[in-house]
Amino acid sequence: MKKLAYFDTSHEMPLEIIMAAGFIPYKIMGDVHKSNDPADKYLSSFFCPAARSWLTEALAHSKEWAGIIFAQGCNNTNRHYDIWKVHVETPFLHWFGAPLLDSEAARKYYKVELQRLIGHLENQFDIKITSEKIREAIGKSNEIKKKLKSLSMLRSQKDIPNRDYLAAMIKCLTGPVDEISSWLDSEITLWSSRQAFPSGKKRFLLTGSDVTYVEWMDTLDDCGIRIVRDDLSVGERFFATLIPDRNDPLDSLIEYYTGIPKSATRPTIQKRLDYLYQSLQETEVDGVFSQNLKFCEPYAYDSVPVNNALISRGYKVIHLERDFSPAADQQLANRLMAFVEMMEGGNNG
Amino acid sequence: MANVKKSGDNTGKFVLKTLPHSQDLKWPMLWWISMEKIYRMLPWKKTAWTCAAFPIEIMWIYDIFPDHPENMATVAAARKQSQRLIEHAEGMGFSRDLCSYCKTNIGAYDTKIKKTLGGISKPDIVVCTNAICDTHWKWFQIMADKMNVPFFMFDIPKWVSGTDEKTLEGNIDYVVNQFYDLMVFVEKHTGKKMSEERLHKVLGRSMELSDLWREIFEHRKAVPSPYSGAETSAAFFPLVVLPGVEVGINFFKKILADIKNITAKGEGTMPQGREKYRVMWEGIPFWYRMRFMYDLAQYGAVIAFEPYTYSFAPVKKKCLTVEETLRDVAKLMMDTPYAYNLERRIENFEKWIDEYKLDGVILHENMSCRPSSAGMVDLAEAIMRDKGIPVLILQCDMNDPRAYSEGQIKTRIEGFIEMMEANK
Repeated sequence: MKKLAYFDTSHEMPLEIIMAAGFIPYKIMGDVHKSNDPADKYLSSFFCPAARSWLTEALAHSKEWAGIIFAQGCNNTNRHYDIWKVHVETPFLHWFGAPLLDSEAARKYYKVELQRLIGHLENQFDIKITSEKIREAIGKSNEIKKKLKSLSMLRSQKDIPNRDYLAAMIKCLTGPVDEISSWLDSEITLWSSRQAFPSGKKRFLLTGSDVTYVEWMDTLDDCGIRIVRDDLSVGERFFATLIPDRNDPLDSLIEYYTGIPKSATRPTIQKRLDYLYQSLQETEVDGVFSQNLKFCEPYAYDSVPVNNALISRGYKVIHLERDFSPAADQQLANRLMAFVEMMEGGNNG
Repeated sequence: MANVKKSGDNTGKFVLKTLPHSQDLKWPMLWWISMEKIYRMLPWKKTAWTCAAFPIEIMWIYDIFPDHPENMATVAAARKQSQRLIEHAEGMGFSRDLCSYCKTNIGAYDTKIKKTLGGISKPDIVVCTNAICDTHWKWFQIMADKMNVPFFMFDIPKWVSGTDEKTLEGNIDYVVNQFYDLMVFVEKHTGKKMSEERLHKVLGRSMELSDLWREIFEHRKAVPSPYSGAETSAAFFPLVVLPGVEVGINFFKKILADIKNITAKGEGTMPQGREKYRVMWEGIPFWYRMRFMYDLAQYGAVIAFEPYTYSFAPVKKKCLTVEETLRDVAKLMMDTPYAYNLERRIENFEKWIDEYKLDGVILHENMSCRPSSAGMVDLAEAIMRDKGIPVLILQCDMNDPRAYSEGQIKTRIEGFIEMMEANK
């Protein structure tokens, strides 16, 4: 089965349509170990380094994919579609206009966009995407979401290094769905048998820009920080809710995708906060780590009101900006370690 | 250093001629400022914050005063206040990488700076759109929450390269449905009611205003250029907040008459025989350093065309029914030249280069406006390839003077002028 790649700055792409079309949904996440020089021929260095890495990946690997779908996400990268259209070789490039709102008008529009995507895929690949196939894909998707949720809940109970969780997420967003499902079963068994949560670590909720490389999660572990909850797209937002069962599977997808916990690319800030409050109520944490990838505007805007709101509720919050690099950032690590030490000393930080 | 002229010292410099009625811009400005005072004084009147590409006419239809944070941010920059306001916002936690308009506005509101310096007051409602950028709604929502004011956002689908007619129709349907949501929102939060008669009256005036601006642009094709970007960057003010009212129309009529008069005499904004290079400026000007446009004149270069001010003049027509009118406006909201996709940008830029007989293009790669800066490399390459004229990509910022490096920009401009000269 061939991969059909998608460009998605959060969790807006209805993967179930790709699955129903007979492809492996492959989330483009770039490679932090490779230079962005190929993409930098077309984009200035003040654009999101992750998105430049995605373009670099596509320039090198697009021929391995059946096609590419862009899901409307962060406004700063939406216009990259035009650049990809010129420079990335692919037989199939589709713009999926995922609405920003969740109103009745937005839901109607979502359906129009779903039907357009289906029609385009059917024409391009000479296939039929039936309701049955979409329903089947929804079933598989929900199965993975449920298993990921079980896996993620083990983070606050067991000794699960931060990198293991992120690696599992990346695998689930890039690999063949059927293989992933059985792999998740074995991981749940494996993680359940691990040692209890290490006493020397602090439990944190991670919020802000998406993290797409494990080295950065290692840095957090090195600083005594264990991520037990998050509100990332390559994270809990992917499996926070299940796709409901409705007569028309497109209605199921509409309800799900317009109702999932919001990323910073979607209104409202209050909805994001409500989700964070809910997570923080469900799981006791020592602190909240808000991080922003350099030039990631949506989260940079949100970080001020979101962090202020969390602090006003008594949560210990640290906010840092990070680069897109696998190298350990010692300055960042020093600040994190100091924050953890202050917590240990009873200081609110 | 002794030879370096101080700012404002025009000894020995070419001075761009301004149109006889250019000073009349003060009347629409004073009218707008006075109107705000009246609207804030009378309890039954309402005020709103609006943004670029939002159909301002709707506010005038509902008799709501449209205040404009971006416009006030440019005032702050022109009055040399923006840097301290931006730094104030950064002190509140907003990143250096965020939009300088937004931070100027946040700083202006938080420090309660005077209106004449770019200050802005709390409105009754905040309405915006993402037609230009998502920054608009992020920023407006943050401020609406801060001020505890009802917030409405228009979600405008993206008209990406290659969008077909059928997709476009679906996009228009979505926008039209949101017009009805907007009406419900406005009526709920202001108690105002829609009047079809007023809608037609306001749209009629809006259309006249835009038509006049477009006619002005037709006359800007004349050689020598009668009206440069140095003047239009201020004169387009009525298009920002006054589409739908009479006062801007009178001003544009006088400007148009002036232009016709000087082009009939074969005169231009540059001294006789001094216009050597006709340049397109793409992007938002450096509001804190408007002298930049006059500095260009010292090299014989004139900004003969700029898509930015042209963008503010979509011709919103009165159609047979309200539904048809809304569909037309919806399409225009998606089709603003400032937010053209790469294909449409290349197509239109090349057309304008021919029509305005341009010798070069300056693309402002604006660190505060990443959406507009995306694709500039491809745009530049296409223009150089297809039209054979030089293109300069100038990285800077519209409202943050910290991004402006005098020496570096001068060097780059001089290189660009040399390329245009070599290309003659």
